[in-house]
Amino acid sequence: MSAAQRTAELSNLRFSLLLALPVLVFLLLVVAYPLGYALWMSLHEISFFGGYKATFVGAENFSDVIDDRKFKKSLWITVRFTLESVALAMVIGLLIALVLNRKMRFAGLVRTIVILPWCISLYGTGVIFSNLAKGQTGIGTAIAYALGFDEAVNVVNRQWVIEVLAVGNAWNMAPLVAFFLLANLKTIPSRLYDLAAIDRMSRLETFLNVTLPPLRFTLFVFTCITTVLSMKLFDFIFVLSGGGPGTASSTLTYRIYKESFKDLDLGYGAAMSFMLLALILGTTLLLYAFWGRREARSI
Amino acid sequence: MRIRLSTIWSWLALAVVVIWTLLPIYWFLKNSLLTPDEIARFPQPLYPLEPTPAAFFNIFGFEYEMADGLVRRGSGQANQIIRGLGNSLIVSAVVTVVTLFVVLPLAYVFARLDFPHKNKLLFAILLAVALPPVSTLIPFYAMYVRLGLSGTLVGLIIVTLTITIPFVTWMLIGYFRNLPQVERLARIDGFSRFETFVKIIVPLGRSGVAVAAVIAFLFSWNEYTYALLLVNGTTANTLPTAISGFLFQHPEPSHLAAAVVLTMVPPALVAFFLQRHIAEMNLVDPVR
Repeated sequence: MSAAQRTAELSNLRFSLLLALPVLVFLLLVVAYPLGYALWMSLHEISFFGGYKATFVGAENFSDVIDDRKFKKSLWITVRFTLESVALAMVIGLLIALVLNRKMRFAGLVRTIVILPWCISLYGTGVIFSNLAKGQTGIGTAIAYALGFDEAVNVVNRQWVIEVLAVGNAWNMAPLVAFFLLANLKTIPSRLYDLAAIDRMSRLETFLNVTLPPLRFTLFVFTCITTVLSMKLFDFIFVLSGGGPGTASSTLTYRIYKESFKDLDLGYGAAMSFMLLALILGTTLLLYAFWGRREARSI
Repeated sequence: MRIRLSTIWSWLALAVVVIWTLLPIYWFLKNSLLTPDEIARFPQPLYPLEPTPAAFFNIFGFEYEMADGLVRRGSGQANQIIRGLGNSLIVSAVVTVVTLFVVLPLAYVFARLDFPHKNKLLFAILLAVALPPVSTLIPFYAMYVRLGLSGTLVGLIIVTLTITIPFVTWMLIGYFRNLPQVERLARIDGFSRFETFVKIIVPLGRSGVAVAAVIAFLFSWNEYTYALLLVNGTTANTLPTAISGFLFQHPEPSHLAAAVVLTMVPPALVAFFLQRHIAEMNLVDPVR
């Protein structure tokens, strides 16, 4: 290649910059700038009444959050909700994938039905599940009456509201998990199942030794994705339970919403949202350290 | 005729999956077809005894005369619903187009080229995916209040892009990586790098590009958190926030149901396309 050609031909770096730089600048504007601004806000007390005013208070917002009992309660609710959501979404996703992996008629139709919950919005899911679980309209009440009982069955109560939320959330997320696991399942050569049959493996052994290994990295990635999605979930909870009854389902996101936009304490809300971000990143890093790294190496 | 036991089991499993998926939707959908009399009943009937599409006319402000001569009046919130529908379409269309323009080159660069600090920048994109919308909203909210952007479509479009761009980029990186290595061949044929991208890579990856467009559309169509806090109660309200009126102010179950069913139409229309192509997107690869 001549020198003239080389200069006419853009280098890798310059071409990347040319394509990506405007975009990265935009991303910086819409992600880094707000994050920086939020950090600045978390160090100030912001008031809107009588004009916008910000007073520097240092780390006071953060120490207030840590001392806040409501914060600890919300933290626990978020953890419980996330654990239940992720477990349900992964198990149901895997089961759906296994069911869909068989040869069947109308496969396109069945798969279209199965992916629907993921396409529907989260507020829609919230409305659907509040209709399904509340005593007045719920399916529990209808079944109870059909069986001859005459008592309303309401599961959106202090005791069960988080489980209702987790089921609805899993209903929404499971199809995505299922479709990516299904794509993995399709890559397993059927020859391996024949060999397993020759080895007289039981169904469980076949599942553990043939089916599961190629899925493991995908399972890890989707455990991370569903964890992040559950921890940052807001609109679904807002619509279904509004953080209630009382504060029984006030996850961190709901509390941040309330502190920031109802009580307009934006500095305090910003400080709490950094705690949530730390929780999200911390959990994913832990998942990677204890699970993902091992799986990545084994591939 | 003998049917194998395993066949029965697999049909049963399939039935459970379909019921698990459709039962919650059905239980809600039926509300939109119930008569006011049926809705007031306790417990509610398991299926509409006299299914009527009245609510679907009502939410657009039309009266509907029932078989028994009873007229069901149009909803008082019809104007908001119609405006919300228009705004939702505008926001979703603009967000989809902008997202594609931004994301295609970005994902291509990350997938196919090497440059310094690539992994750090990739991490920044994944971080943006992990940001909770309520957190992102706090600085935007303060900023918009001061700039006068709250309650405008422009403001809503900008924040919605913070959801669609990182996620779709991440999706497409894995997709572009798996396309055949045609760059060298294209260069031999005299294509410049830019031409290679526009004339070869994008057409080659058109199903991925289509999925990206559909996902961007779905995400902005389904977006509620930002709309709730930025445009709710203004002339820029989108369909979901317009529906909130039914949720919290005037409980009218059949109108609420009909309006929510309306929001589910686009997702239902793209479901067939998505189930065929979603798994081509490789969410797992960029993480590896």
